[in-house]
Parts: sequence; C-alpha cells; structure tokens
Amino acid sequence: MLDAIMTAPLRDGEARPGRNGEASFREQICWPFLLAAQNPDGGWGYRPNQRSAVEPTSWTLLELASLSDLSPFEQAASRGIAWLLAAQLPDGSWPAYPNQREGCWTTALAGLALHMHGLAPGAVAKGFDWLCNVWPGEGSLWRRLQRRLFVSSSMVRQNHSLQGWSWTPGTSSWVEPTAYALILLHRLYPGALPRRVEKRRRLAEAMLYDRMCPGGGWNSGNPFVYGVAGEPLVGPTVWALLALQDHCERAENQESLDWLARTYEPTRGPASLVLAHMCLEAYGRRIEGLEPALRRLYAANGFLQSVSVTAWAAMALGPGCRWLRWRTTGASQS
Amino acid sequence: MSVSTGQLAPSFTRPPSRVAVRRAENYQADLPSLLFETLREFDLPVRGKTVLLKPNFVGPDPLGVINTHPAVVGAAKESLLRLGAKEVMVGDGPALERDTEAILETMRLRDHIGPLASSFVDLNLEDVRRVPLRTRASRLKELYLPEAVLRADLVVSLPKLKTHHWAGVTLSLKNMFGIVPGGCYGWPKNILHWSGITRSVLDINSTVRPDFAIVDGIMGMEGNGPIQGVPRPCGVLVLGNDPVAVDATCARIMGLVPERIEHLAQASYLLGHLRDEKIQQIGESIASVRTPFKVLPAFRRLRAAGEGRPWHSNCLA
Repeated sequence: MLDAIMTAPLRDGEARPGRNGEASFREQICWPFLLAAQNPDGGWGYRPNQRSAVEPTSWTLLELASLSDLSPFEQAASRGIAWLLAAQLPDGSWPAYPNQREGCWTTALAGLALHMHGLAPGAVAKGFDWLCNVWPGEGSLWRRLQRRLFVSSSMVRQNHSLQGWSWTPGTSSWVEPTAYALILLHRLYPGALPRRVEKRRRLAEAMLYDRMCPGGGWNSGNPFVYGVAGEPLVGPTVWALLALQDHCERAENQESLDWLARTYEPTRGPASLVLAHMCLEAYGRRIEGLEPALRRLYAANGFLQSVSVTAWAAMALGPGCRWLRWRTTGASQS
Repeated sequence: MSVSTGQLAPSFTRPPSRVAVRRAENYQADLPSLLFETLREFDLPVRGKTVLLKPNFVGPDPLGVINTHPAVVGAAKESLLRLGAKEVMVGDGPALERDTEAILETMRLRDHIGPLASSFVDLNLEDVRRVPLRTRASRLKELYLPEAVLRADLVVSLPKLKTHHWAGVTLSLKNMFGIVPGGCYGWPKNILHWSGITRSVLDINSTVRPDFAIVDGIMGMEGNGPIQGVPRPCGVLVLGNDPVAVDATCARIMGLVPERIEHLAQASYLLGHLRDEKIQQIGESIASVRTPFKVLPAFRRLRAAGEGRPWHSNCLA
C-alpha cells in the first residue's frame, strides 16, 4: 500500500515532506490508514470496521480532494462520493448515518466534500437549499415568548435574535454547525450572494461574534452562564475563525487567534493540535514542528483509531487545504 | 443488553434499596480495596459479564475537579475484574469537548485503565442503533444510542458529586446524558435541552437504567457546576444498585432535599427509591459525612434549610 502511495503523483507542486528518503507521517500513517479504513460500501466509519457515517466520510473525501487524480486515491474517492450521494435524503439534507430519517449538521460537510471534488452540483445545491430553509428553533414565536416570561436574564447572556445553524433541526444555533454552513456558503458563492443567502450569512456571522468568549475564542456557544465567562475550546474557535476569515483584521479575530496560538503548545489532543494548526496557517501564522508532535501523540494512543482526526492530520500536514481558504482581501467587512 | 426490560416499577412494589457510603479522604487512598470490598457486599452479578463503566468526562481537567477522577475509574475497573467480569470497558460521550483524547490525556486516564485504544470507547462516535424510549416524559419517543452501551451486560454510572446550573445536581441519573451520541445530536446534545432536561433524564434512564452507581464524592463541585463551580472536598464514595437511591443519598450529603430536585422526584415514581426509610444505609451515616454544598440562587429552594417546595408536576405519560 505504501509503495503505491509513494509513487502516486501529487498535484499543484505538492512536495513530499519526508527527509532523508523517509516517508512523511502523512504518507506513512495517514494515507494507508484512511485507505484501509474504507468500508466495502465506499464510506468511512468514525473508526475502522464501524458503519459508514457522513461526517468521517466527508472529512476523508476533503483530504482526498487535495491528492492526485490517479489511483489509489481516485478509486477511493469515487467510491466514497458514490456512498455520500446515496446517503442524501430526498429533501436534500444528509443525516449522520444513512439509515436515519432526518437531516442534520452533517449536510454542510457532505456538501463541502462533494463541492471540493467538483462533482454533483445538483446534489450540493439541494443540500445547500435545505440549509437555507432550515432555521434554528430559538426564533420561533413560542420560544421567544417562553424566554420573555420564564427565563432569567442572568442565565445566559446572548442575543437570541441572531441565528445561525443548529446541530439538529428545530434546536438552538451553535458555533460549529453555523461555521460549517458558512464555510460551505463561502465556497459556493465566492462573489455576490443571492439576497436570502446574504441574509443568512449576515445573521450567522453576527451570531458567531455575539457568542465569542470574553478575551477571545469560542466554546460551543454559551459565552456567559450565570454571569460567568465561558472558557473557549479549540474546535469551536478554529471553525468560527475559519468561517469568519473575511473579517481577518477585526479585533475579535485577532484576539481569538492569539488565544489559539497560546493554546497550541500545551495541547494534549491530536484533534485540537491539527485543527489549530490548520487555522493558524490559514491566517498566515506559520507554526513549526507539527509532524514530530503528531508522531508523539500517535505513539501514545494511535489517535484512538479516529478516521476524522487522521484525515485532519493529513490535511494539516499537506501543502494547504484549498477548501479552508477563500479570503482574497485583508479588509474587514463589518 | 442493557436496554431496560423490567425495572420500571412503582416504588411500593420495590424492595428497599441499599446504598453504601464510604470515606476516602483523597485519591491516594486504597480505592481498589475499598471498592472491591464494598462491591462484594452487593453481590453484583458480574461474573463472566461485559461491563461498561460510564464516568462523567466533561473537559480537560488537570486539577481533577470537573471529571470523575481517573483513580476512581481505574479502581472500579480493577474491582469488577477481580469480581469476575469478563470485560470492563470505560465509555463516555463528552457533551461539549469534541477532542475526547485531549480530555483523557490531560487526566492521564491510561495510567489507570491501560491502553486507551483497547479499554475506552468514545460514545459520541460509536455505531448507533435506534431505540424506542420506554417512557414518554419528553417528546423524543426514540433515540439513537451507542451499540457499546446496548451490548453491555451491565452499565455502571460513575459520576462526580456536583451541582449543575440547569438540573440542580448532576449525579448518576444525569450522568446518563453522556450515552447520547454527539455524532448524531451534536456537541452539546441540545435536543435533550429542548426536550426538557428533567424529562430527558427520565426517558434515558427508563430506557437504559444503570445497573449500579458509584459516585466520586472525594472531591465534589459546588455553586455554578458542572464546569465553573468551586471544588468542594467531601471525602466520600457513594455506591448502590438503585441510582435514584444513590442520588438521593448524595443530595442529602450535599445538604439538599432530594424531593425538591425535579428529576429525582420524578424518577422515584418508576426508577427507584427516594425516601430515606426505603434506603438501607451501609457504611458511614449521612450525618457523619454531610457537607453542605453552595448552590446558585436559582436553586436555593433545594437546600434542606430552605423554604422551597418539592416538585410535583407529573410528566410521565
């Protein structure tokens, strides 16, 4: 397997980072793992030998989108794409697992994966349409009334009129699903946005800034509970910053980047490490020493056999994730 | 499998429950011996069985004040294996932090339970199965639940003794939120909040009722728990085969009235005993270990000395 990978041509001037003839971590560990973890049905589970699920399949396809058009990656990608298309629900959404009846947050990831392969624009458009039509539950009349009558203002301090996207239909807006949908939106519409899409973008971006933790960074979406400031987490911070990269010069972005950079060194989990690395690099902050750090973490627990983490690690070690970067100007748009 | 089949029963049909309260001043104590000796008193049917330990892992916790302490998890695993369990897995699905490995590494869990790849399951990302809920307290009707939970012969809830800013307390019943997979429902599992925390706690526990509970009360948390509260040393482990009785005992130790904690009061209708006359106490008396916990103003009514009224609205359909 490794031989086939090592001889496969790379795209866009991609260099093999291995030194002294040694295979890089990406080639030696990530790619063989991902290829071997693919299920016979074409999808990937969260771990090898688990049932195929939309999220790990989408992350793996995003890594494969950056690789050669030749086998073995092309074969794996085409089987994965076929699986993903088959998992789409009639309303255009994607569920977490194909046997489920309702779409959810994974719709943005599946759409992104297909879009970055330049395939199935109809399926992607249908998925995005579903995302545009599904609103989180906090905006409903009943919910607003409930908040007004029963909820103490000291419990959470946030602007509920600013809506993004929820994890599952009809529940509240949260940082990560909002960021995923915004990233897809930016990839689909590099230029002017249709009016209804523009409205969702504006609301979602404002919601993300509203949910930022004091001092920078994001947690899942509660910056204050009972007057106490929430602690940021790496994952939500990364996705929010990537979704908001059009506003890279804003003080909130820079403050959050500073928090992320401070957090990077002591990070103990491979997922946090590679996500932070991808984000800092997307913002032009070069961080050295990712590969040795990943080797150390891999030696400890083998990434707990996580397909998603392995795909992220491969992306972070690669020459750049096209899907993560669309920023063309450093100017902030308020 | 651990999907409940016969445990839903009104209190008056249930035999009294047994709850053990053991002193352990710190995590350097001989917890394996303490737990082994106590578990032996319960005659747990673990021989040849697959056991899932469900701790409460919330986030990176270098000071050991938020998560179930790894020494307690390790001691529980060791004790159950000594009692003849065929396999003891540790599994949780943290509600907010997606980087589960970061949580486990910060706690140094593998120093206590062995290699993580073979002894820990991330319940957020396990294969799932659709399970109809056995009660209709919430509107959920069904949930996708991890196969690792459904396959286990016994599920042991292993929470930390903490106050909770939405539910009042988080103990062995609330801890079962962690079996609901983030891979399906997100981080946090917001659908449970929308369905009502109390009602969701009831539906989850009626469907997968923990067979046993071990509460880590050596170092608890008071005030704005479960994450941002203040560490509260309490020096106890509380164990029992009735999670409602265990939680009620913990509440009494915390200086709270269990009848005023909504999900405990509701759970007592079908899931276990709340009244102290129905709970046989083993080990320390509650009075000897009572450690009043501070609560947020919104939960003042829960305090034993307060004037609050118990919750009585019946939401079980």
